[in-house]
Amino acid sequence: MSLVALPSAIAEASTTGQLGTGAATLAQATADPAGVALFAALALPFLGALVTPLVYRALGERTAWFAALVAFASFGLVASQFGTTGSVSIEWIPTLGVSLSLYLDGLSLLISLLASGVGVLVFVYSAGYMHGEPGQARYYGTLLAFMGSMLGVALAADLIALFVFWELTSITSFGLIGHYRESESSLYAARKSMLITVSGGLFMLVGFVLLAFVSGDALGSTTFTLIGTPDSMIANADAMRTALESAGLFVPVLVLVAIGAAAKSAQVPLHVWLPNAMEAPTPVSAFLHSATMVKAGVYLIGRMRPLLVGDEWMLLLGTLGLVTMTVTALLAVGASDIKELLAYSTASHLGLITAGFGFANQLGAETGAFHILNHALFKATLFLVAGIIAHEAGTRAISELGGLRHDLPITGIITAIAALGMAGVPPFNGFYSKELLFESAYEVAHELGGLAWLFPAVAVFGSVFTFLYSIRFLWLFMGEKPAGLGEVHRPSLALLAPPVVLAGLAMIVGIDPQLAVDTIVQSAFGSAVAGEAHTMSIHLPTELTPAVAMSAITILSGIALSPFYDRLRDGVRRLTHGPLSADWYYDKAVYGLERASGLALPRIQTGQFRTYAAWMLGVTSLLALAGYLAAGISVPAFSDLSITAPVVIVLLVAIVGAAAVTRAPSHIAGVLTLSVLGFMVALFYVLSSAPDLALTQLVVETLVLVIFLLVLDRLPAFYGDADRGKVARDAVLAGGVGLTVTISVLVATAGSPDAIARFFVERAPVPAEHGSILADFGGGSNIVNVILVDFRAFDTMGEISVVAMAALGVLTLVAMRGRGESS
Amino acid sequence: MSVITRTVTRVVFPLILLTALALLFQGHNLPGGGFIAGVLTVAAFALVYIVNGLDYLQEDLLGRTGDDVEGGPAIVADFLNVFAGGLAIAAGGGVVAILLGQPFLSQAVLFVHDLPIFHELELASAFVFDLGVYLVVIGGLLTILTVVGDE
Repeated sequence: MSLVALPSAIAEASTTGQLGTGAATLAQATADPAGVALFAALALPFLGALVTPLVYRALGERTAWFAALVAFASFGLVASQFGTTGSVSIEWIPTLGVSLSLYLDGLSLLISLLASGVGVLVFVYSAGYMHGEPGQARYYGTLLAFMGSMLGVALAADLIALFVFWELTSITSFGLIGHYRESESSLYAARKSMLITVSGGLFMLVGFVLLAFVSGDALGSTTFTLIGTPDSMIANADAMRTALESAGLFVPVLVLVAIGAAAKSAQVPLHVWLPNAMEAPTPVSAFLHSATMVKAGVYLIGRMRPLLVGDEWMLLLGTLGLVTMTVTALLAVGASDIKELLAYSTASHLGLITAGFGFANQLGAETGAFHILNHALFKATLFLVAGIIAHEAGTRAISELGGLRHDLPITGIITAIAALGMAGVPPFNGFYSKELLFESAYEVAHELGGLAWLFPAVAVFGSVFTFLYSIRFLWLFMGEKPAGLGEVHRPSLALLAPPVVLAGLAMIVGIDPQLAVDTIVQSAFGSAVAGEAHTMSIHLPTELTPAVAMSAITILSGIALSPFYDRLRDGVRRLTHGPLSADWYYDKAVYGLERASGLALPRIQTGQFRTYAAWMLGVTSLLALAGYLAAGISVPAFSDLSITAPVVIVLLVAIVGAAAVTRAPSHIAGVLTLSVLGFMVALFYVLSSAPDLALTQLVVETLVLVIFLLVLDRLPAFYGDADRGKVARDAVLAGGVGLTVTISVLVATAGSPDAIARFFVERAPVPAEHGSILADFGGGSNIVNVILVDFRAFDTMGEISVVAMAALGVLTLVAMRGRGESS
Repeated sequence: MSVITRTVTRVVFPLILLTALALLFQGHNLPGGGFIAGVLTVAAFALVYIVNGLDYLQEDLLGRTGDDVEGGPAIVADFLNVFAGGLAIAAGGGVVAILLGQPFLSQAVLFVHDLPIFHELELASAFVFDLGVYLVVIGGLLTILTVVGDE
């Protein structure tokens, strides 16, 4: 493709457009954020989640207000750090250099404020919406923990913390989406979102590990710190890029991180979990789809942008974003349920943000940063409106709704503000960010020519459908009330106030976009740009530019197509049956895996000890051997081998004993010949001057013999005949295990860690001169024992815990057998 | 079991226990230690168990009466206490090190001079840990032995 030929010099070239002008750099805020405020903002929701069950016992349904208060405190704490940039950290395990670091800049401030601010409104709304619903303590606790995880994603300064909080949002959203535990579809939705987002996160983790691996070459020492310190990855983006490219890892890292972000942000083809996620209670949907969860993915893209932006970045994310934007906008047109429509539109707008961040010019970053804010404002409003409609009209089916303006006048006005913003109609908030997208797509096409003209074309094409479904949603309030629709109640204040606040904010952004830009978008945009960011200047267009023309085409085509909305909808629905339907590949994969594991089970888990032993030993040996092969470890040559006559005799007897075990006609003979082997090994230890080992071996061998004798009469008297195939298979397995153990021993002893051995030899005994208290030395002449109880006492602690656990395990298993819990 | 085995067991049993204790005490400076001593002690009990039966071990030797616990004979409850106590001693000794400002499980040695007979005695804090190991091994293995043997 010709796109790849983009000269990287222009990748981040400052561009002069109608909406974004000037190259003057905004003076960067240099004050450091207060660590206490950030850590408290992050910890509060989790602490709140912990005490929620207790609070619920005292307050009942008013727990919503408690949760809103916690969210508001977090919001206030984050907001108090407005204008600061920098990282704060607390030491966690100082000896290992592990610490929890948080970083605050424009982008993380924007996401944190959205998460906690919309969180406050969602809790207030829940107070009205969840009235009389089951499991409220669980609901508020999980929602608070979810909000905390999202704050963690936004504030984390290193990759490990980011990953942990990332997966925490997946886990907590699993609980939220599956809130209605009795409903099969709700559980299906929860499992689906969990599977897709968590597995996406694992891809991302591999990408993170590769980044950390490369950072060793680029920065001198391996680090997981992404941002915030002078030796972090983003502070040295150029060095990181060079190292990534020379290691051939640039594209793999980009793809892995993009998979993680795409799974979270519901990009095609991983968007399938998002429509099902509407099974959650509506406040949760509003929260997941606007300010959190899906925003984590685009946040990651924005955060990684200074590090990875370039030709490949644009090709991958620009395409991904625009395809998602168009496909899911079409699917939204085909929706039959208002929440389904909004869910697909969420995916579509996330596509827009991804595409914006994807374009390798500054306008693209402006698009992403600005649309994160705009989308959160109008989408949260619309979901809350959908909740009001479902709550007060009793249905969510689009075909059954209409003329709601008569019964819900205030809701109608806020819907108009939000829906027109979503449609991208001036002067509502979504218009400005969509203009930026058009402008940046046009810019890219203009620079590259050729196939790159598809970018603006697809952007306009997708936006037409965005316009169509936005107007369709607004039309729920227009026209005549259908006969089937019963009485529609007025919503309570708790239900109405949150969307009014959000729509008010959206309106302010629409009327005075520059205010929003100066307040927060400019600094968020700056975080997503490599190098100096120019000053954003956003206002209504006053002259005809390509972007204005594109907006005009979008709106006019939308108006022209709207009479054919029903036909379009039916067409989309016909197309999305069978293999083209969203769930097809997901269902096939999941149920296919389930069937495959059902088939494998009878072969692996037969309930017979020998089968388990064969699988365990075989697989362990294979993995170990494969590991040696992959690491290119060769069997070391052994020298200094002194074999004396006694050793030869002892080992010969041991071999005879081992061979005799396989030929033993009965259990008694088998056990006794096995003991011969064991005692010979003990003798070998004696000859090798290892009295401790010999003693242990002798005593253990005796005890094993005794235990064998105890259980002997419980076993069948005769082994039975095994056919040749089985014998051959067992022989191969035994040989393989023997080979693995031999190689392992040779490899392990070849390392001969002299330094460690010398340390023990020097430190174990009592030194020649000493005081009456000796702490630095072991103070014992039995070096084995001193290692066990002093130098490596922690290991021994673990081992005796294992002995205790084994005893408890045997006791529990035997006790349980009487209860018929195992078949 | 024959009279000979029973008589021999009677004589050997205390000797094994004594050997085990010797191994435990000398472990710091000579071959031995908590683990070996523990396994040897268990072997002594196992011998009594096989020769004289569980009831003899439980009632005559260890003086335990009472109902069976879930999953095994009554004596198992005592064995559980033994290894729980052992774990507590081992971990507790480690915690003492923390209280003294040292890392968990740090050990030290104290030399006591001018004693009668011994003249100089070396007291190792590691012995406390070794005692814990000894008790855990005895309790854990005897639990397994009794429960499995009872089946």
